[in-house]
Amino acid sequence: MISTILFDTILYSTPIILCVIGGNFAYKANVLNIALEGMMLSGAFFSMFIVYFTGNIPLAIIGALISGLLLGLLFSFLGITCKGNVIVIGLGINMMVSGIAAFVLRLMNSSNIYVKTINVSIFKVNIPLIDNMPFIGKIISGHTVITYISFLLIFVAWLLMYRTKLGIYVRTVGEDEDAAKSVGINTDFYKYMAVLIGALFSALAGVNLSMENLMLFTNNMTAGRGFIAIAAIYCGQGKPVTSSLFALVFGLAWALSVDLSTYAGSASGLFNIVPYILMTVVLAVVSIYRYKNNKMRGYKLE
Amino acid sequence: MPGKKIPLSIINSIMPVILALLIGGIIIAMIGQNPFTTYQVLFQQSLFTPQGLAYTLHGAGPLILTGLAIAITFKANIFNMGVEGQFILGGFIAGIVALYCKALPGGLAQFICLIAGIAGGMLFALIPALLKTYFRVNEMVVTLMLNYAMATVLEFLTTGIFRDNGSGYVTTPMIPKNVMFPRFGDTRITLFFVIAILVFIIMYLVMKKSVLGYETTAMGKNPAFAEATGMRVGNKIVTLMLISGALAGLGGAGYMLSDQYSYTLNFSANPGMGWDGMLVSLLGGHNPVGILVAAIFYSALKNGSQDIDIFTGVPQEIIAVIQSLLILFLSVKFISENTHALDKIRSFFHKKNGMEEE
Repeated sequence: MISTILFDTILYSTPIILCVIGGNFAYKANVLNIALEGMMLSGAFFSMFIVYFTGNIPLAIIGALISGLLLGLLFSFLGITCKGNVIVIGLGINMMVSGIAAFVLRLMNSSNIYVKTINVSIFKVNIPLIDNMPFIGKIISGHTVITYISFLLIFVAWLLMYRTKLGIYVRTVGEDEDAAKSVGINTDFYKYMAVLIGALFSALAGVNLSMENLMLFTNNMTAGRGFIAIAAIYCGQGKPVTSSLFALVFGLAWALSVDLSTYAGSASGLFNIVPYILMTVVLAVVSIYRYKNNKMRGYKLE
Repeated sequence: MPGKKIPLSIINSIMPVILALLIGGIIIAMIGQNPFTTYQVLFQQSLFTPQGLAYTLHGAGPLILTGLAIAITFKANIFNMGVEGQFILGGFIAGIVALYCKALPGGLAQFICLIAGIAGGMLFALIPALLKTYFRVNEMVVTLMLNYAMATVLEFLTTGIFRDNGSGYVTTPMIPKNVMFPRFGDTRITLFFVIAILVFIIMYLVMKKSVLGYETTAMGKNPAFAEATGMRVGNKIVTLMLISGALAGLGGAGYMLSDQYSYTLNFSANPGMGWDGMLVSLLGGHNPVGILVAAIFYSALKNGSQDIDIFTGVPQEIIAVIQSLLILFLSVKFISENTHALDKIRSFFHKKNGMEEE
């Protein structure tokens, strides 16, 4: 029972972690990217769409990543080059992806995209030594490829953010854009990069969600995971490791809501709100804690 | 200067419409349909026949309210993304309260239902407002999340306690006849449209003529300065969020009593009336009169989408794509108010004329 919940925690955390470590860069660059949801949905949609028509999995993953990057470019162009309102653009992209998916599904006369010929078990990795361990094996072994990649990417993202020129410049741009400009940093370029990293990782999260685990796409299957990721980023203040830990907490909430709902009988539908409510509570507690230590008065322009 | 600003803001609203329809047209052409006939069907029925126009106005009612709900917070730089959740909650509560109003006279019953819907919307908006004011919790993230929670709770209630077991699909029982808003003649327009217009007039006065309206604008421009001049920004945030929630709740309640008559899982459709309200508010430049025009335009678009589904081979889902394109284009100001593009063009022509005269 406990091992199932912990296994599922890792399962449900994966897409959120990917969105979080990608979205951190945009957060640090002071460009709030709430299009993570749409970028993830796009990855989920295009990977299944390409697999459905070609059966070629590597092509599908590449296509999904490209779709994410294109959305990232669109977001950056409108938001950074044209200086539009990034919150509105983010919501616009979220709606656009869901709209395109609905449109294409309707043209295909179907409510979902499902590929029967490919079994998802090919994505599962059983780690040789750990697999045989009694308790840990059940939790850590047997996940999909992108799951392991995502946990490795936490540290890659950490390196990228704190040990490379890109990360340092992105953070500088976010902290004080005018200062960054005055020392000759091309601020728009680093903002673009920050958004694109988030777009790429979110698209990968979408591939994990639709293709790797289910071989199935239904519209709006991301169900607010992108927004949960944004909450985790806020809680962790854009730090890769801290915000990934918050992503794990939300993964746990998701696992609990799914696994416990089977015991709940008629109330099982109500368990789905656990992740959202828990997120709100955690965000509130973190904000209260931070606000208590903040002696500044008034409201700043966000 | 005001004389010049009005045409600019209109251009900034019309350009995105043209661009979005253009790209929508390309998509329609790509699936092998004729974009011109599609657009003709889209607007002909919904704007140029009396029956269709009445239906369009009827559909504009809730959009005016959700549009105003978005505008009043966006103007103050608060992002109430929970309009969607407040809308469906208002509708749901009105639908449930209506079931207990069978014995009451129609007018009173409708009044009670609308008030219940408004109360629901306000209560739901109060949570993020208090969190923002007292603990600086980001209201945008909270409202986005609570939308999902609200949709789930209402789905649970609709499939469980309040399900109409006689029906073949998941829905609450139909509200009693006496609570429904009767239609005017054989049009679809009901008293709810009149209520929406009345609320619009009140909101126009609030946003344009009242102290609160000026303070909202001041907060949106610079909250730190507003606070420094002695405005109580925290209280204003709560007030604005409550107004926004009330408008959204009223929209949902009215939509229930005048159009849907029962709560289904598809009550607010996809992408939802709250999000439509955001489009309407952006299209109208967060300006009450603009919102009124935009709501009617967008209602015609939605109304016509049903016609293109029936009379052409284009799926009505194209409207969601066009809507999102519109939002994307509207986020960018095509002609900035500072560039004086019109002046440049005018002086360019003046020069030319002058040279010819020489």
